[in-house]
Amino acid sequence: MSMEDQTVAEPILSMNSVEVLYDNVLLAIKGVSIEVPKGKMVALLGSNGAGKSTTLKAISGLLKAERGHISRGEIRFGGTVITEALAQKRVEMGICHVIEGRRVFEHLTPDENLIAAAPLGMSRAALNAEKDRIYNYFPRLAERRNSFAGYLSGGEQQMLAIGRALVTQPDLLMLDEPSLGLAPFLVAEIFDMIKKINREEGLSVLLVEQNALAALEIVSDGYLIENGRVVMHDTAEALKSNSDIQDFYLGGKEGSNFHNVKHYSRRKRWLS
Amino acid sequence: MDPVFLAELAINGALTGLLYSLFAIGLVLIYKASSVPNLAQGGLTMVGAYVVLALARDVGMPLWLAIPLAIAIMFGLGFGIERVALRRLAGRPVVMILMLTLGLDIFLRGTTLAVWGGTSRSMELGISYEPLFLGDILISRIHLVGSVVAVILLAAFLLFFRTRLGVKLRAIADDYMASWSVGISVERGVGLSWGLASVVAVSAGVIWGEIQGVDQALSLLLLKGLTVAVLGGLDSILGAVVAGIILGVVENVGADFLDPLVGGGSRELIVAAVLILTIMIRPHGLFGRHDIERV
Repeated sequence: MSMEDQTVAEPILSMNSVEVLYDNVLLAIKGVSIEVPKGKMVALLGSNGAGKSTTLKAISGLLKAERGHISRGEIRFGGTVITEALAQKRVEMGICHVIEGRRVFEHLTPDENLIAAAPLGMSRAALNAEKDRIYNYFPRLAERRNSFAGYLSGGEQQMLAIGRALVTQPDLLMLDEPSLGLAPFLVAEIFDMIKKINREEGLSVLLVEQNALAALEIVSDGYLIENGRVVMHDTAEALKSNSDIQDFYLGGKEGSNFHNVKHYSRRKRWLS
Repeated sequence: MDPVFLAELAINGALTGLLYSLFAIGLVLIYKASSVPNLAQGGLTMVGAYVVLALARDVGMPLWLAIPLAIAIMFGLGFGIERVALRRLAGRPVVMILMLTLGLDIFLRGTTLAVWGGTSRSMELGISYEPLFLGDILISRIHLVGSVVAVILLAAFLLFFRTRLGVKLRAIADDYMASWSVGISVERGVGLSWGLASVVAVSAGVIWGEIQGVDQALSLLLLKGLTVAVLGGLDSILGAVVAGIILGVVENVGADFLDPLVGGGSRELIVAAVLILTIMIRPHGLFGRHDIERV
């Protein structure tokens, strides 16, 4: 355990036994409780359909757009209950969600993507400073700042999506699968940059990843979600050395073959 | 054919076409934010004209006061339509919203018929009907005024979409979910686009009301307006203006050639042919945005 993990920071976000229903029938997460300490980076790990994205949407308020709602539990951000708040209000409070699949505004230039995300109250000077800050973090974007965002490469679009989120001045940045479909060197570049922003600006980060190996390298804590429930919570170091995590998410340790892992995983799900 | 006469046909066609554009700009504004052609734009235009008349005739206001007030009222109405009807449809299939606008059009037509009756009323803007000659070419003053209004609106909206608020509206047009994720109020943006389209409806209603009288027939402008909007690309304001001019010229000159051959009525045929051919040959119109595909 490293030094920084030993100090217990107060949580900027706490989610308490939250249950989410889609269309009033489909129970997507079943009592998820997680905490993000202020200034820390936390990962949500788990397989496809485990409920990671739903958890982020519950926090950012984007559930409503997909006809989902929080049917039980409570979410607090900086001590305030936000369970029912509008998505727009939550962004104003300092939560920004970089949704899955990048979703940049394709027919706008990178410059305009940043402008679109800036609060209308932000002064022109502040907006320009903000653009400079983003282009400073992601110099590749600066080169393409006047072409349609739809024509950027996948990596550049992900950088733009993160930059666009940073313009909203978040205290908590939530990233949904930023590594999706990107070459490993790009993943490394983007993760390095997220770590740098976290270190330099004290930005708290909640990271959803299927790429557990890359995620556990930069976060301090991780939660493992399976079937809509948190099944494990530990420090990144502990998770990395946990044998289950190694088997299911880090590509297996030596000596275990795929058939055994699959069988074991199935049995575990039945029991949980 | 006499070149002066041809020029006169073309110029007057272009001016009439700009009046179609004046109508079509409203369609484009709503399409940009909702990805739906607003089938109620004809109804809105008619209501806009009736509201001006009600304020000017029934209340007795001067026109310079009645028109701005009607614009304010109609902006509120457009904004209200989003609040009452469209908000609960966010995230539903686009065809539902399309059907809603159709229902809205029928509702607006029924309401105006019930309140103001079916008799045609005149707008009486006080624009002279004295012929205006440009060299040898005869030009209608009201068409000229209407064209100027269309060009002013074009310039105003082109500028507006460069402002920060305008960029947010364009972002909404691109991706609702991503807009919500960065704190843009999609609801308010859609409401704003309806409000602005209703303002456009008032100006189109006043000009067209002056030309053909204010009655239920005003709502039929929708057909030509849609043709212009589709030809221009549905989401391009500039496209609507250019397409309006093109349609106006083609319609006016073409009808002059065809009418003697078929015994009249070829105008509607030309408009229909333009609409069908556009959709078959160039579905995203002259200036329409097409989906970006990366390889």
